[in-house]
Amino acid sequence: MKTQKLFQKTLFGIFMLFGLIGISTSMLAIYTVDSQLSQEYESNAKGIAKTIADASVDIILNRDLSALQSLIDQFVEIQGISYIYIVNDTGEYLAHTFVPGIPEEILAGKGAGAESVQRSLPGMGDFVEVSSPILAGIAGKVHIGMDTGLVALKIQRAIGQQVYLFSTIFVIGIIAAIWLVNLAARPVASLLAYAVELAREQSATEDNGVLVRDDEVGQLARLFQYFSGTGELPAPTRPSPAAPA
Amino acid sequence: MKRVTRRAALGAGAGAGGFLVLPWSLSRAAGNAAGFTDTEIVLGMSAAFSGPSRGLGIELYRGAVSYFTHVNRAGGVGGRKIVLKTYDDGYQPNPSVENTVKLIVNDRVFALFGYVGTPTVTRVLPLLKKFQNEKTFLFFPFTGAQPQRQPPYGEFAFNLRASYRQETEGLVDNFVSIGRKRIGMFYQADAYGRSGWAGVRRALKKYDARIVGEATYRRGQKFTSIMRRQAEILKAAKAEAVICIGAYAACAAFLRDAVDTGLRVPIANLSFVGSENLLKMIAESQDEPRRYTELLVNSQVVPSYEDDSIPAVREYRELMRRYNPQPPKELLKESYTPFDHSFVSLEGFLDAKLMVEILRRMGDRPERGRLESAVFSVRNFDLGVGVPVSFSADRRQGLDRVYYTVVDGGRFVPLDDWKGRF
Repeated sequence: MKTQKLFQKTLFGIFMLFGLIGISTSMLAIYTVDSQLSQEYESNAKGIAKTIADASVDIILNRDLSALQSLIDQFVEIQGISYIYIVNDTGEYLAHTFVPGIPEEILAGKGAGAESVQRSLPGMGDFVEVSSPILAGIAGKVHIGMDTGLVALKIQRAIGQQVYLFSTIFVIGIIAAIWLVNLAARPVASLLAYAVELAREQSATEDNGVLVRDDEVGQLARLFQYFSGTGELPAPTRPSPAAPA
Repeated sequence: MKRVTRRAALGAGAGAGGFLVLPWSLSRAAGNAAGFTDTEIVLGMSAAFSGPSRGLGIELYRGAVSYFTHVNRAGGVGGRKIVLKTYDDGYQPNPSVENTVKLIVNDRVFALFGYVGTPTVTRVLPLLKKFQNEKTFLFFPFTGAQPQRQPPYGEFAFNLRASYRQETEGLVDNFVSIGRKRIGMFYQADAYGRSGWAGVRRALKKYDARIVGEATYRRGQKFTSIMRRQAEILKAAKAEAVICIGAYAACAAFLRDAVDTGLRVPIANLSFVGSENLLKMIAESQDEPRRYTELLVNSQVVPSYEDDSIPAVREYRELMRRYNPQPPKELLKESYTPFDHSFVSLEGFLDAKLMVEILRRMGDRPERGRLESAVFSVRNFDLGVGVPVSFSADRRQGLDRVYYTVVDGGRFVPLDDWKGRF
């Protein structure tokens, strides 16, 4: 019984330890993945916006707008980019990828001046929108909306993988802990059984193998035997002398 | 992409009059770097033979094949039969680019012919620049967009049809003339839609007006798609007329939902839409098709195929009846019932007729390097449509005329009186 209680406490301790490690590392992972992915997203979006802006100058000034549309259609195939639109200096939408139309919030020009803005578009989702000026802003601006839902999905995946790893380590840890605790508890249980038998009969018929052990359990068993008057005082055990310096 | 098999070729050939689509594996042109042999001239075509816009590629192909078959039966051009090597791109840019690489690099065709669509052709044009030393030109694509009509890629293509700019300008002028200046747009969210959008915007500027509302759809939508939201956007914008830049399935769906939503204004489509397929979808799905088509007006870049007074139309009708060309079986993935006649197949027929004329002008040695000068030698050529065709270094488009059609008695007829109709 004592051994089981000891085991339960150890197990509980292991649970607590794993829980603490799991929660703290998950929070750290969420923070790290979120901040790094968001930064990477924004950075990539800015790079793409600048690329489109640079490539748009010649098209806007010299060519048909279908070429501009063809250009942004190729970029919108990149994972994470949800929409692209290009506005000229008069606020006219020269090309865009919205279906069935340009959202009201964007038409209203909310956040149009900012280099980066968070948008929540009804029916579409949440986005971080970055912009890049065309010809220093004189010819217009390129805006790119990156789907933040994809960042959340990547965080979920990262956390899922981490939980899977922790679960595996946890199961292996519990099995190892049970084995180790049992390994330690078995001689203690034998000593307890020997002591109980000694107390009842003053002379144990079987020594349970504990008297011949050369560890602390053996020492204790021989001490119990001495106290019951059926054995000799065991030789004192001292810690090994430290090696001379 | 499947290779044309002997059986498929013979099947298609039988339908087309005997020998037009020759099996490529049997062709002696296979290893020829110039795209021709003593017996054949090979043209390459990438178009939509599958998907919601397959009717466009199939009808264009059928019209062209009717004329090529006729020429081949009469001995070909300079003793060489014209072979049309076809690939399906499903009206999608990436397959179109891949097909073009195959046609230029692997098949080494003499010229590219009869490509379908703006988003596809727009992406193919840089390839022609890349292979400019090969002198592989694109002839008569089924698109009126600007990129193949102006620098930096205009020099690699030759167009027969009028441009979207001309079509949209004509529509805007006519709408404004009947007092409908508030024009809204429904368009495909890609280069084709933007090309039409730019044309309408440009035309409206003449009248100091702007597009009052716009709604879009994604390329590849079927007739079963719901376009109610798009109709509501344009209704809310109080558009007095709507110009659609799309393909037949999506535009038919929009027409249906616009009428059902109560958007009772003239709805116009460009020539690319595929008028007969659009009308067929409406007619087969609605109890009162007239209610949906009475305010419909479609611009065309070829005359009416019903007009027997036009020599080219008489010839087209006769050859379509005689050869009844079928789409290439190896490319067909979905069922399709061809039309006896259509604006698209008539355009394919005229494209083929002009292509043959250009090849004839090259004489016995049809070299790619001489193609451009052969095209430029076409001056005041009578194609049979009542308007002479001319090309030059400054003029790489053969025709400029735009025709307008409305539905009467379940078929498209010429529109003469805009005010009376709308």
